[in-house]
Amino acid sequence: MGTRERRERSNESDRSLLSLFYAAAKEHLEIGGDKGIALAAVGGYGRGELSPGSDLDILILHQEQFPQERLSNFVNALLYPLWDTHKVDHSVRTRDETSEASNSDLKVALGLLDIRLVAGDPSLVAAVQRDIVDSWHKNSRARLPELKASMALRHERAGELAYLLEPDIKEARGGLRDINALRAIALSGAVAVPLERISWAESTLNNLRETLHTTTARNKDRLLFQEQGKVASALGYADADAMMSEVAHAARLVDYLLEYTWHLLEHKGRDGLGRFLRRPRTISVAKNISVSSKEVVIDPLVSIGDDPVIGLRVAATAAQLGLPISLETCALIKQSLISGEGVLPAPWPREARESLISLIGAGESMVRIFEVLDQEEIIFGWIPEWRPLRSLAQRNALHRHTVDRHMVETAVYAATLTRKVHRPDLLLFAALFHDIGKGNVEDHSDRGERLIAPLAARVGFSSADVITLQLLVKYHLLLSATATRRDLDDPATIASIIDVIPDLNTLELLHALSVADGEATGSAGWSDWKATLVSDLVWRVRQAMSGSLLAEPPALSDEQLLLAQNGVLRVELLKHPSGYSIEIVSPDKPGLLSLVAGVLNSLRLDVKSARTKTHGPSAVMYWIVTPEAHAPEITEVDLRNEIVKAFEDLKPVEEKLLARAKAYASIPSIPVAPPEIIFLNDAATDATVIEVRSHDRPGLLFRIGSAITQSKVDIRSAIVTTLGAEAIDTLYVTELNGGALSGQRAQEVTSRLRLALK
Amino acid sequence: MKLITAILKPFKLDDVKTALQAHGVTGMTVSEASGFGRQKGHTEVYRGAEYTVDLVPKVRLEVLADDADADSVVDVIVKAASTGSIGDGKVWITPVDQVVRVRTGERGPDAI
Repeated sequence: MGTRERRERSNESDRSLLSLFYAAAKEHLEIGGDKGIALAAVGGYGRGELSPGSDLDILILHQEQFPQERLSNFVNALLYPLWDTHKVDHSVRTRDETSEASNSDLKVALGLLDIRLVAGDPSLVAAVQRDIVDSWHKNSRARLPELKASMALRHERAGELAYLLEPDIKEARGGLRDINALRAIALSGAVAVPLERISWAESTLNNLRETLHTTTARNKDRLLFQEQGKVASALGYADADAMMSEVAHAARLVDYLLEYTWHLLEHKGRDGLGRFLRRPRTISVAKNISVSSKEVVIDPLVSIGDDPVIGLRVAATAAQLGLPISLETCALIKQSLISGEGVLPAPWPREARESLISLIGAGESMVRIFEVLDQEEIIFGWIPEWRPLRSLAQRNALHRHTVDRHMVETAVYAATLTRKVHRPDLLLFAALFHDIGKGNVEDHSDRGERLIAPLAARVGFSSADVITLQLLVKYHLLLSATATRRDLDDPATIASIIDVIPDLNTLELLHALSVADGEATGSAGWSDWKATLVSDLVWRVRQAMSGSLLAEPPALSDEQLLLAQNGVLRVELLKHPSGYSIEIVSPDKPGLLSLVAGVLNSLRLDVKSARTKTHGPSAVMYWIVTPEAHAPEITEVDLRNEIVKAFEDLKPVEEKLLARAKAYASIPSIPVAPPEIIFLNDAATDATVIEVRSHDRPGLLFRIGSAITQSKVDIRSAIVTTLGAEAIDTLYVTELNGGALSGQRAQEVTSRLRLALK
Repeated sequence: MKLITAILKPFKLDDVKTALQAHGVTGMTVSEASGFGRQKGHTEVYRGAEYTVDLVPKVRLEVLADDADADSVVDVIVKAASTGSIGDGKVWITPVDQVVRVRTGERGPDAI
């Protein structure tokens, strides 16, 4: 089975058509058959690719020089002998009729792009070929969107070749028809399509189709489950799983190139309104990274050796903006990983880990970016553990995706649950790697527990976090298995969970992971019925557990306590490779948190974490911030001066932040879940605890602080944490004259916060 | 012929299946179900938010049996499904006019 056989089959058909053509021409047209009449092959036959079950698509071209009856007799004499041996799809047209048909019917046009002379007048076929290619080229702006729309309908009807249990090799997304579409796009000349990248995929799928036709003796292109073993064996694969993995890999490659080609067609060199630009506009969106022609690119002249985190930053930025990465930038990142320039140290720096979490947490838009990283083989440079999972088939009715795509889909669902947990970073990481142990005879949960530990440690998680991640991977099926198979009323069932899940935090994470895993598996493995059982189990376990999920107010050192007693402003700044750590002791006043957050943000510093606590007349604050792209360097003196100025008049800071918010509004963004605001009146003595979980954005803490200050409420202490693209802020607040808030006051502050974070 | 329908606690399904197989029952249909009987639903409170769990998850098991076997099949199900606590479920018997095995076309008790 192979290209040569398909070509030989096509040549054989050519030979029999050739002799039939000349015999029929001689008998019915009384000519030698060279002038004014021709027989051409179109479609797959035109390309010389005939599978055993393929149709013979032929076009008989004439110039209306023969009476209708003689022409009919000629066509019948040509076709009758074929009908016993082939499925023939024919048309009889003049050159003008062919152009007309091509202009009015996309399917005809696509078939004609591959027109090839079989017999008769070569000039007639050459003229038609010229007409078709010229028209396709000239009308590409109208025809390509038509092609895209027809493909979308087909994809909806036929599903995705890479993931279906019984896919149609020709019609499904990523299948042979899509390869032909790519060829048609290339022929339009509207954009360069690197077709050589899919030649492997094309021959893999063609070989499969040919073998399917041979082994089943039918001309159907749907690869049924029961046929997969036979086809795999005929093609020399170890088993059907190995064959379906290769099918998935090929289909994903085709789909990737197609998606990217459409993007190029729609955006390359154009502005937001689709107008062509002489020089593409670029907007700086992160350190050394810009957006140009709606693609994320690495800025010119950037040395990846000096900034090895840039690859992950590009991926995270693209995912968070919902834009693709340019192919040139992908090539640059890939090359840097091969040369060693872009290889990350172990453990990864904090920024690399945060970028990975931002990427995983971007929801739907992460799927496309992850596919790019996979297809360009970049992800293996960062996470070699991903390679054995690539397109790993799960041929059963329970799963709807390959192992790697299932984990990506789980991460997508997990991203919708980040507001439900206190450690969204651990949830997202566990979601992306929960099935890392698959592809081996050993139990995948046990193997996964072993494999996740070195990976998590290399990515830079603390040893406590590594243990939590191991538990999450090992027990990711525990809750659903227990909920459906054990008696929830039996205390022993609850005790069995508590035995292995040590705290509320892990339970909360495991619950979210179970839901995300179930949702990603699909309706065969997850339902409201199961979700209700799992929730019931979690609720019962939570009742039986003790402890708190809240971040505790920070403790102050003796030195900090002493400084706080003085009530004098003091700023200490320490520079790190990825940003600054700042300690501020300041006379306390209502709104101090938002004031300092606002000053930092106006200096283009992103707050990554903050711990603040009031003591005596002062507030002691510890901040970790990272500078944005092109942010100027700051010194202790600068920062102190800015804070003093803001104490006198906050208006300039507010104006600066407003201007920045406006500038940010022009940058694309992805849809994110609304913030979650929780009030707890019984969680602290003499204070109400407000927990805000939100997607991080510039000025977030300033807005939260301002809303609280406007409610005439004092912030006694605060713990602010940014994990990837998610922020969790825990604020201990009191009335200005002390004491926790009443229920009504708490509601008032909640409403104000919701409004501020809209 | 009779159709025996049982509503059970999900965790009891494996026990019931095993007991039925030991009793010689070779086929059954199982589906997910939700509902409540005398146990009603219950209210849960988490972090101040109250939510009512008014439909309790159950499994629905269906078995076809010859008239003479129906009562013993019910006994097997009841014995295996019982925990003695509220919400153990229900079993009921309904008459069946005809049964056809699709593959062979057999009818009546032969098709069970």
